Amino acid sequence: MNLNKVITLAFISVFGAVAFGQENSMKNDSIVAQDLDEVIVTATRTVRQLSSLPLPVTLISKKQIQRTGVTRLNEILNEQTGIVMTPDATIGGGEGVQIQGIASDYVLVLIDGVPVVGRSSGNLDLSRFAIGNIKQIEIVKGPSSSLFGSEALGGVINIITEKPTSENITGQLSHRAATFNNQNSSISLSQRRDKFGYSFFVDRLSTDGYDLAIGDDAQTVNPFFNYTFNGRLFFDASEKLKIFASGRYFSQEFYVKPNTSEERDANAHLRIDHNPSESTNWQYEFYYTSYITDEKILDLINNDVLMANDFNQQLFRPEVRYNHSFSENNTLTLGGGYNFETLDRSLFAEQVTFDSQYLFAQYDFKPLEKLNIIVGARFDNHSEYNSQLSPKLSARYNFNESFAVKASVGSGFKAPDFRQLYLDFTNAAGGGYSVFGKEVEAAGIQRLLENDEIANLVVDQNNLGQRLNAESSIGYNFGFSHKKGKLSSDINLFRNDFNNLIDIQILASRTNGQNVFGYINRESVYTQGVEFDLKYHVFENLDFSAGYQLLYAFDKDKEEALEAGTVFGRNPETLETIRLTRSDYFGLENRSRNTVNFKVFYEIPQWDANANLRVVYRSRFGLTDRNGNDLLDNLDNSFVDGYALVNLALGKNFYKKYQVQFGVNNLLDFKGQNPLAAQDAEVLVNPGIQFFTRLNIQF
Amino acid sequence: MKTILKMFALYLALFAFVSCSDDEDPSENFTVTAISPESATVGTEITITGTNFPTDASRIVLKVGGAMATIINVSSTQIVATVPQGAVSGAVSVSVNGTAKMTSNEFTVLSELVNAKVENIFAPQTGGRGQPVGGPFTKFSFEAGEVTDSDTKWDIAFRGLTIAVNGGTITGTIDEPERNGNGGATIVEGIFSEVTSSQDITFAQDADGVFAIPTGSNNGWYNYNFMTNLVTAIPGRILVFRTHDGKVAKVEILSYYQNAPANPDGSADPSRYYTFNYVYNPNEGETSLQ
Repeated sequence: MNLNKVITLAFISVFGAVAFGQENSMKNDSIVAQDLDEVIVTATRTVRQLSSLPLPVTLISKKQIQRTGVTRLNEILNEQTGIVMTPDATIGGGEGVQIQGIASDYVLVLIDGVPVVGRSSGNLDLSRFAIGNIKQIEIVKGPSSSLFGSEALGGVINIITEKPTSENITGQLSHRAATFNNQNSSISLSQRRDKFGYSFFVDRLSTDGYDLAIGDDAQTVNPFFNYTFNGRLFFDASEKLKIFASGRYFSQEFYVKPNTSEERDANAHLRIDHNPSESTNWQYEFYYTSYITDEKILDLINNDVLMANDFNQQLFRPEVRYNHSFSENNTLTLGGGYNFETLDRSLFAEQVTFDSQYLFAQYDFKPLEKLNIIVGARFDNHSEYNSQLSPKLSARYNFNESFAVKASVGSGFKAPDFRQLYLDFTNAAGGGYSVFGKEVEAAGIQRLLENDEIANLVVDQNNLGQRLNAESSIGYNFGFSHKKGKLSSDINLFRNDFNNLIDIQILASRTNGQNVFGYINRESVYTQGVEFDLKYHVFENLDFSAGYQLLYAFDKDKEEALEAGTVFGRNPETLETIRLTRSDYFGLENRSRNTVNFKVFYEIPQWDANANLRVVYRSRFGLTDRNGNDLLDNLDNSFVDGYALVNLALGKNFYKKYQVQFGVNNLLDFKGQNPLAAQDAEVLVNPGIQFFTRLNIQF
Repeated sequence: MKTILKMFALYLALFAFVSCSDDEDPSENFTVTAISPESATVGTEITITGTNFPTDASRIVLKVGGAMATIINVSSTQIVATVPQGAVSGAVSVSVNGTAKMTSNEFTVLSELVNAKVENIFAPQTGGRGQPVGGPFTKFSFEAGEVTDSDTKWDIAFRGLTIAVNGGTITGTIDEPERNGNGGATIVEGIFSEVTSSQDITFAQDADGVFAIPTGSNNGWYNYNFMTNLVTAIPGRILVFRTHDGKVAKVEILSYYQNAPANPDGSADPSRYYTFNYVYNPNEGETSLQ
């Protein structure tokens, strides 16, 4: 289907819907307007008080972001309990977020409730997201596919932007300068006048980048600059009809002359809130997003293009949601939508298109005074893979004012991505192996057979092209929440069972000795552990918090193979084969058994100043298998020792309008050793200490 | 009284006869029925079964193929001994008090299994990276225990990541050696020492388009990790070969890099250098690999 036509159609239907909505004129909305302090919308897609939810949720407030002086999403996430930013930068690709031990491919990132796209290799680069104009960041841990569909297995990160409140033009202008010539300027403006409101945000970041591998020609992070533009309009036609429109544009360019590396990310979001009665709320949402990259590697001598990797992904999604409150704590949510997705990529034979439709329902109620139950499910029908039903059940029981128990079980899934379905790639430079996506593998093999390039078939031709299943998980969370006086604590036990993870299989071997690879549902892994959070409001101006996560993450098939005695390693001295046992298995790559964070925030009112110290520790983790047995064991020489990052920020206000901030990230100048570094070469894990200073003018 | 005396004398005679039979050596009556195993290497324990062996080992002289064997243990029906140094194939003789008896079957003294390590066999290739792979294979003979130039007496041959056997046909790549032997290969999962025999093994041979040891990452003896640019011999993959002349050997490849570093560097260490342990059984028709 032509995307332009879809968009036109969709906009016609928007206005149709608005017109229709206006006919239903009834009274006030009670669902959206609540002025409780800490409320979040990601857990239920309705406004809910944070402290009453039956799910493990992390909220990062604007205040916390400002105090720490960080400006990008990845930096602030890394300081939260159970969230790890994995340093994939050292071995290619961007940093990835890990929640409950679940990799970034399985974490959904939203801005104001709508998903961002652009995973060229699974990871979503979170440093792309400037956090200068946001109200808060909400993180719901565990699967939430019952509400959000694909990718919401490990958790959902929702960036909530700020709504203008003041009649006057307010805004802020800020500049932050840091080590590596990291310059970040931003300006935001907003105003609200009667029914209208607007808000603009512009952010520019540039840096010289840094190098972790000293001595070679290339730099680990090349110099780049990027811009973020965000404009939002609010129109409250009446108490019953509210319209929100937002446009966001992001553009980034690396200096890699004569090569090219650019990315652009744009989205348009329109939401219409219609409340025909006090208890009924309709939301019509239209969302369009695109993610485009342009990468070219040129031959240094004759400027021929050696490799071009262009990526152009577009998503259009109309969605309708309906909320009805039967009574105060008794809300039914229904929703449905349609995804039109296309991807044009140099490594694909042609542009590919996905269509999917979905319906979801959720009932949030209190059968007893102290018991809250949320039950929901979503059905996703997809043009290219088997359809998916994702139920979820969660409950919270408040024993008394200060003590509650929470439990939830839910399922998550991740649709096979475009690559796994449509990749048609032969790596001529890398030895001549081929990779085919599921939808093109039968034709690809046929083509190679006709060209006499197949030595022998590993998978029978009749079995090629059978549909992939979505990767799926079931997540269990069980925890206690305790809050009394100045002390609050949360403990959460989790277990996530993953099935049908898509793995690579060999389809055939080629006459040139290389393989032809395809994709198959195969692996099953699990992650389990405990998260513990403690917050202590020591006195008026001093806040202390600590977090800990214990994590076990293993591949079940590998565990079975170890039990059966069919996994081998090598004696590091003789290099002879030895049989490995279960205790030799370290677990999945890039997972630390223990992660810890400590934070102290201190305010000094007499000076109008504040200070904070944050410590993040992660224990030893391994990067990859090195001894050829396809799992990470204690004999693999690929482990990074545990390390702590200490971050410090000091801020002072002058004349109410001016804030000056000074800070140090990685105060202890941790650099680490990358075990995959070549002999006699040094590759660091972290670029070391980074200073920053920031000036903020509020008006 | 006379009768009593006669009786006494008779008893005495009887007694004398009985006691005499106790002293008498029954060795002339011993028999040798079998030897097990019927073939073994020097130093291996063998068991000779029979009847009426003296239980005193010092009274027995055991010769295996002409060489005197040391007896470890003896009972009236079994002699356990080791195959002596210098033994040659032939009959086994058991002598007691000068009476020698031979086993009816010949005993074969086997050659020792060769248990060795070969280092840095260089196996260069031309082409690759999308170009046709070529260049001569580096041929190896288990009998010689080293690289060979012979066009007929080679058993296995290396070129880059590819291993050819001297059996079957040319697979079709350029510069392949002619297959003129009856070699074969197979891959067994396990620890080197646990692969004790080739008895239940079916060997594959090189054929049009296919090597007996499959090529490609994870298919055969190695895998390739693109993150580290490393070729790693998959631990637990033991290659069992039939040589060009029908003998058997097992091979464990230890490294693909020069001087077999414990932690090779995929971009710095020179590759295509094979280091492997092998056990070769030089005895025709024998399947033992330990």
